[in-house]
Amino acid sequence: MTREIKKVVLLGANGTMGFGSGTLFTGADCEVHFLARTKAKAEEGLIAAKKLVRSNTVGNKVTLGSYDKDLEKSVANADLIFEAVAEDFQIKSEFYEKIDQCRRPDSIVATVSSGLSITKLAEPRSKSFQKHFLGLHYFNPPHVITGTEIILGKETDPTLIDFLIDWCAKNQQRVMVKTFDRPGFAGNRVGFKVLNEVAQLAEKYGPAYMDAIIGPYTGRAMAPLATIDLVGWDVHRAIVDNVIDNVTSESDEAFATYHMPEYMRDLLEDGTLGNKSGKGFFKRVEKEKFVLDIATGDYVPVSSVSVPKPAFIKEMKFLHNVGKYKEAMKIFAEAEGPEALIAQKVIGGYISYSFHRVGEVTEDITAIDMIMGMGFNWAPPSVLVDTIGLKETVAMMEKAKVLVPLALSKALSKNSKKPFFNHPQVNIGKFFVAK
Amino acid sequence: MGQKVYVLGGYQTDFGRNWSKENKHIVAMFREAVNGALQSTKVEAKDIEVAHVGNFAAELYAMQGHLGAFFLEADPAFAGLPTYRHEAACASGSISILAASAEIEAERYEVACVLGVEQMKTVPSKIGGDYLGTAAWYDLEAKGIEFPFPKLFGKLGDEYDKRYGLKSEHLAGISAINYANAKLNPNAQTRTWYMNLSQANSKDDTNSVIGGMIRLSDCSQVTDGAAAIILASEKYATKYAKKHGLNLKDIPYIKGWGHHTSFIRFEDKVAESKDNPYILPHVRQTALDAMKRAKIADVSGLDGLETHDCFTTSEYMAIDHFGLTKPGESWKAVENGTIALDGKFPINPSGGLIGAGHPVGATGVRQALDAYKQVTGTAEDYQVKGAKNFATLNIGGSGTTSVSLIIGR
Repeated sequence: MTREIKKVVLLGANGTMGFGSGTLFTGADCEVHFLARTKAKAEEGLIAAKKLVRSNTVGNKVTLGSYDKDLEKSVANADLIFEAVAEDFQIKSEFYEKIDQCRRPDSIVATVSSGLSITKLAEPRSKSFQKHFLGLHYFNPPHVITGTEIILGKETDPTLIDFLIDWCAKNQQRVMVKTFDRPGFAGNRVGFKVLNEVAQLAEKYGPAYMDAIIGPYTGRAMAPLATIDLVGWDVHRAIVDNVIDNVTSESDEAFATYHMPEYMRDLLEDGTLGNKSGKGFFKRVEKEKFVLDIATGDYVPVSSVSVPKPAFIKEMKFLHNVGKYKEAMKIFAEAEGPEALIAQKVIGGYISYSFHRVGEVTEDITAIDMIMGMGFNWAPPSVLVDTIGLKETVAMMEKAKVLVPLALSKALSKNSKKPFFNHPQVNIGKFFVAK
Repeated sequence: MGQKVYVLGGYQTDFGRNWSKENKHIVAMFREAVNGALQSTKVEAKDIEVAHVGNFAAELYAMQGHLGAFFLEADPAFAGLPTYRHEAACASGSISILAASAEIEAERYEVACVLGVEQMKTVPSKIGGDYLGTAAWYDLEAKGIEFPFPKLFGKLGDEYDKRYGLKSEHLAGISAINYANAKLNPNAQTRTWYMNLSQANSKDDTNSVIGGMIRLSDCSQVTDGAAAIILASEKYATKYAKKHGLNLKDIPYIKGWGHHTSFIRFEDKVAESKDNPYILPHVRQTALDAMKRAKIADVSGLDGLETHDCFTTSEYMAIDHFGLTKPGESWKAVENGTIALDGKFPINPSGGLIGAGHPVGATGVRQALDAYKQVTGTAEDYQVKGAKNFATLNIGGSGTTSVSLIIGR
């Protein structure tokens, strides 16, 4: 049988990931049935989809419906059922129960979940459902971010994964990364370790200080706390708590960096959600930017907060600006002083954590590299090692008291000159932002 | 033609990048492209004997002139290297290649590096549109006009319509092919953009009119990017082939070239050609010269074309001016699929300027690099099967400076 994806049912069409993913399917010339609680909600999703990609033609391929009236019939006709409802195990499970009863035995069921267990989600379902169920994790916003994780459950048919990797790459211009069914998969597991660690450090040093020290110049499009504000504090909590609940300190050497700070939990209860609630670590009032004072819970103008400007950061920004990335990152690894040490610990920790997750979240470091580069817009760990230099990276990690991965110490003892990252089509310069 | 000029390969930056968002100076682009070309060709910096830069308006966009000097910033081994910078609006990249190849033909130098570079996202689009107006006669055709160039190429569409008739759906067809091809090109700016034939044909507020028949989907992009290639004499190429275990016959060379300049004002061009079946006869002559020098009788001796589609009307013009159809019948090649990637004569497998992007000074070099990739079978997903001879057409201004190269084995 030649498998095709022509008809797609989209559940959760009015959510950001729902309508965003919907445009990837209409763009791939599929007929897409947008479903939501009500038809009016589904229509809201379509309007948002058109706005997102600035094209009314999205609508040419879309029909609208509600779960109550249309789910059964449209699921029965679909080649792919794409679930993008709330990131809640119970809610998702209830939908799967319904889908299991009316889907065609050969249709694919995919969830956009950013970290729930694919195996556990499918467990109560029929054998056929389990075989055809997988994670297809687009990153937000899906029409811009190409990095995409594909996750097998314990019973998922591996040929489906091969088919979808090829299909999504060809029809949706995706950079596909196969990950194991671990909490947070690969991208969020590595990424939120860094983000949460910076949030922990912010309690002592302040948010403005931390975002300046771990700024874009360290190899990212956006500073970490600004990223949490963009993602949303509630989403951040869901991701880190899922790791805490399903990983142990025995299996994860950096487990402690995953505990969400209490100040964040308290503020979250009071409605601090990041950009979507108008306040997070930062907020804007008209043109002025304010920053959270963690001790008091008040916001003060960023301009009133004294943030050290160490010489090494200034020098690095200039070197990035003129395209001398290796020179800049060497300065980073060798810089001295309290700010340098914090930055080296976080960035060295990121490299270390990534290499230590190989075998647990992905088969190899390349998969982690690709999802961090194409999903997070962060310099992939291997790019950092190559750019800083192997010897210098190891020395930096030792100085920052970060566990040196075996892959690095082995390569160093062999005096290996082979780059860790070898994808000539990726411009590594784009990761080193001069800000 | 004198000495053969070989193309050893090159490098293109990802045209999807926004270098202003990365807070980069134009020299960063310079370094990445030049070093990328050296690495991909395995030519050492010390072997480069001369270097040429094609750039349109770095003084305006990036407040930087004297670009030749920046080769030394790319690699200190270039200290002392003779360098040039060339400008012919959107044809700047191609005239740099012509200048470098002339030096190799004249046996002044054995190896040249040619870089095309433009950083354009430094200014809002309206200001950038005004800068681009300097590629026309600014005072007479651009001053005080918002986005003058789409309007000038809209007039090219009007002229086609007047002389032969022109339907907007054929322009939309050109746009859709370019966007579809760009999705296969990992360096194309628009590879993830939401665009297809129905969007290109739509006439609502998501595809507004910019000038004449030109809508948003008919326009090339504001792009940051650079491309660099390494050119060599037969003597160096022979040594190079031996060193890398290659057969000299498998290294492509510039088989032919054409180069002409027309009146700068669009209305003067049209007046000149009023009795000519070709609306831009100097462009036609450029294509004919390139084929003649390459000893190729007509377009059937070519396997495809990377053409200048700054707007869909310029590609529409290239189709009949290259002789793929009779004058005024370019629509046939769009309608019957001739110019699609799997057609008889693919045009812009890379996505062209509309799909891949148009960093003005880099475009001619990017086209030559893509022609190189096609004839060496290294274009991967956008490869034209079995391509041996590939042409480029690079146009500066409203059809003012035109350059065509034929690269083949």
